[in-house]
Amino acid sequence: MSTASLARGSSNALGAQLKRLVGGQEMILLLCILAIFLIVGSLNPRFIAERNLSSIFLGNAYVAVAAIGMSMVIISGNIDISVGSLIGVLATISGTLAVNGYPIIVAWLAPLLIGVLVTGFMGYLVAYLRMPSIVVSLGMLSILKGGLISVTSGAWISNLPAGYALAQLRPMGVPMPIWFMVGLTILAAWWMRYTAAGRSIYAVGGNAEAALLSGISPRRTVMMVFLIHGLFVGIASVLFATQLAVIQSTVPPNLELTIITASVVGGVSILGGAGTVIGSTLAAVLLAAIGSSLIFINLSPYWLRAVQGALILVTVLADLLRRRRQARRR
Amino acid sequence: MATLDAAAKKQGKGWQPALLRHEVLLAVILVIALIFLAAQTDKFLTTGNLLNQGRLMAEVGLVALPMTLIIVTGGIDLSVGSILGLCAIVLGYSWKNLGVPLPLAMVMALGVGTLAGFANGWFITRVRVPPLIMTLATLAFYRGLAEGISQARSVRGYPDWFFQLGQGDVWGVPTQLWILAVAVVITAVILARTPFGRGLYAIGHNEVGARFSGIPVDRYKLIIYTFSGAMAGLAGVIFVSRVSTTRSDMGTGLELDVIAAVVLGGTSIFGGTGTMLGTVLGFIMIQLLKNGLALTGVKGDATIVVIGIVLILSILLTNFIQRRRSGNE
Amino acid sequence: MLKTATTVAGLCLVAGLAQAADRWDGADELAVNPLGCEAGATATVTPKPYDGGAPTGAKDLAGKEITLVDVPKLIGIGYFAATTQGMQEAAKELGNVNVKTDGPTEANIDDQITFLDNFITQGVDGLLFAANDPVAIAPVLKKALGQGIHVVGYDANSQPDAREWFVNQAEFNGIGKSMVDAMAAEIGEDGSFAIVTSTFTTPNQARWIAEMQAYAEKCHPNMKWLETVEAQEDNILSFNQATTLLNKYGDELKGLFGMTSVATPASAEAVTQAQLCGKVAVVGLATPNAMKPYVAADCVKSVVLWNPVDLGYAAVQVMRAVADGKLQAGATEVEAGRLGKLPIVNGSEVLLGAPFIYSKSNIDQFDF
Repeated sequence: MSTASLARGSSNALGAQLKRLVGGQEMILLLCILAIFLIVGSLNPRFIAERNLSSIFLGNAYVAVAAIGMSMVIISGNIDISVGSLIGVLATISGTLAVNGYPIIVAWLAPLLIGVLVTGFMGYLVAYLRMPSIVVSLGMLSILKGGLISVTSGAWISNLPAGYALAQLRPMGVPMPIWFMVGLTILAAWWMRYTAAGRSIYAVGGNAEAALLSGISPRRTVMMVFLIHGLFVGIASVLFATQLAVIQSTVPPNLELTIITASVVGGVSILGGAGTVIGSTLAAVLLAAIGSSLIFINLSPYWLRAVQGALILVTVLADLLRRRRQARRR
Repeated sequence: MATLDAAAKKQGKGWQPALLRHEVLLAVILVIALIFLAAQTDKFLTTGNLLNQGRLMAEVGLVALPMTLIIVTGGIDLSVGSILGLCAIVLGYSWKNLGVPLPLAMVMALGVGTLAGFANGWFITRVRVPPLIMTLATLAFYRGLAEGISQARSVRGYPDWFFQLGQGDVWGVPTQLWILAVAVVITAVILARTPFGRGLYAIGHNEVGARFSGIPVDRYKLIIYTFSGAMAGLAGVIFVSRVSTTRSDMGTGLELDVIAAVVLGGTSIFGGTGTMLGTVLGFIMIQLLKNGLALTGVKGDATIVVIGIVLILSILLTNFIQRRRSGNE
Repeated sequence: MLKTATTVAGLCLVAGLAQAADRWDGADELAVNPLGCEAGATATVTPKPYDGGAPTGAKDLAGKEITLVDVPKLIGIGYFAATTQGMQEAAKELGNVNVKTDGPTEANIDDQITFLDNFITQGVDGLLFAANDPVAIAPVLKKALGQGIHVVGYDANSQPDAREWFVNQAEFNGIGKSMVDAMAAEIGEDGSFAIVTSTFTTPNQARWIAEMQAYAEKCHPNMKWLETVEAQEDNILSFNQATTLLNKYGDELKGLFGMTSVATPASAEAVTQAQLCGKVAVVGLATPNAMKPYVAADCVKSVVLWNPVDLGYAAVQVMRAVADGKLQAGATEVEAGRLGKLPIVNGSEVLLGAPFIYSKSNIDQFDF
């Protein structure tokens, strides 16, 4: 799937999407990001130097990619808290294949396949056996994390073969993770808005019974969402694994919280039925920009987390106020 | 325990006939697990070991009680671990750095926990922030406050009397186990026997409906989130007393342990169903599984795999039985 | 209410900005003891009476087969996998020791206590530990001593009276000196540097930073500390934090200290990817395997670390000596198998030796 064909296919959609953006949560996020760039950039111009902007986008691209799948899961009325463990496991599998002489393409694609299998299993339990997704993914979190430690004991994977480092490629001067982040966000946003399958996610998350009456199978939709989520987690894990020259083969601490935060700050309603993946991607960038900017303004690192938490709260409240004002105007 | 059973039965006979089944099932699984583990090692089923496990699970247990109330209404509180950390820091900081007498510092810690819970509840009911988002944000914010206030310093050197709470015994039973038992009975009665408790089920079933039938939904919700903060504060004070030091990273990840215990106990994450007995069985089961497996020589990484599988299988089994039953009827 | 929330955010920001820094971020407040400035300076040894604890009613285990359990800070990371390997080597060599490693999957004080408690109930002859917190772990260790179980620590100490002996990999001030001297050699006496650490609450890291500050102020007063950032034990976060530091300070930043075996390779990676090899020095604690690519590429000149395999090996040897009654209060050295005689310092600590400096010439000899 080339980026060029993607861009062609979605150029009309993109225009429409841009119009809708104005006044939405996406706009607020965009303004927040711009405000941070402006304010911190005027305090320290190095903040908006190309190098730093690139690392802000680059460092959290895998979070944004995983947040796309997570957003779909949340919009469908579910959640997956095993995502951080799954990324850790998939990255380890990918690295292990690569150092054991398998073709690089296998090392890149295997995590996608295994990711889909794991989330497919969870999706089956959720969709067809009616188990709450939070229970399934809580259990899966333990299984994946314990299993990873049992198998690897935390041995680092190094001596990765040349050419494996997908995330360090720079086609047309732009780092690969940014291509993935932008391309997948546009593709997913277009798909969710303009295809029947994509729209059914909102229908199921908004009101499963109504969706059923209008001919959508909530089970199939939820199953589909989990499968797609697995694909995005797989891609995110490859970006994660190939970013550095070594792979840690542990579960990254709190990664599931970062990904879920990106989704909900991006305006995805936890009650299901609303939100866009453009919002979640912008939110992932915003979180990275906040993290970087607080170092630039010489904030005492002891207060860093408090400020981060407060800023997340402000973003969420701003979104709620905007929605309420809109509701009043109607 | 009589109250609990009665509460559960009442609940079972009421509008959730299937509910009793999960607790029974869980109790059966628990007994089988106990027998199995006791057969593996004679160190497991001893009074000393069981009481000691009670000491270790008190914090998770205390926080799981209000969490049950919250999940029954269809909400969630992810910030409990961070509130625990914040209260621990408030206790240590106000005692050591501000010179507040220790008993007063303990009260202050509880007060801050209550306030933190109230803030969650206020934003959830007044501003209508969804609970998951609100407590996700305060999960980061409260932990951040703990770090900022403490400047990453530990507070040590508490007087001996303070350790009675977390390390001492009363009539041969760990002090915190008494506190936990009292809290269990009170919350179980509240949930099963009072209009307030029935109101919580009603909110979980259908919030709009509950509002129309005259239940003060917002006030009820505010109360349970505030209560959750207070209990996290109490757990924090007990935790500090048990480990005799204060650190800003205390209670990290507590929320997941607590939620696992509550859902294992059969409380539906969608709200409307669940009992305190189930939650109690849930956290006892997790603690004894961890302990029993460790005593029989299973390693820590394998233990968390087992717990994950048990969590999924037990809910799966209940779902399966319920569906069979509803299919037969 | 948005206003209230914004005000709170603002207040936190102000509180954060107003923080006066007279010590380096991440350093603790305990007394420091910087070594002399000359190369090879060591602390003058002041004899100190034994300050460790003693098990009550310990069985006579001399020459008998003993069962040990090792509870590190957490399992599933390379560093403690290496100490475990050393323990198994010692057990095999001694022939009458069984040792098993088990512990929490996160560096969590509560989980570690629970594990220790379980092993006390299970009944073992000896416990080995690396403490997540020196005070929090004390009550459970005292409980072990009270039941006649031998207790020996390694890597991260507890309160002295809660264990018998502690195998110290390297004195804090020795690490401080090695790190700062190595940095000064690379960036010069007036260079500026920043620190990437795990968390400010990790006791060992806090101690090292405090000793580095004291030593730098004493012996390299013109070197400039810029700031310390936290990066958990997370390699991508460490990389991002190190990159942000490089971007923020530009040419001003001459060196990066990595305080953990995760932060150091990630900092080296950040310098490599920013194409600043040779311009920004990376000095830090790390395991050789993770550093090989950067040392080979000449991006990192020296890596400071003790050998964790030896540390685990020494811990089991010390435990055996304690069980055999060969190591008792007042001893000045202890026989530790292939490591020879190790000196006793600070009352009840067995010193593994001076920290080791890995460089291009010797790094390929190590595999952990």
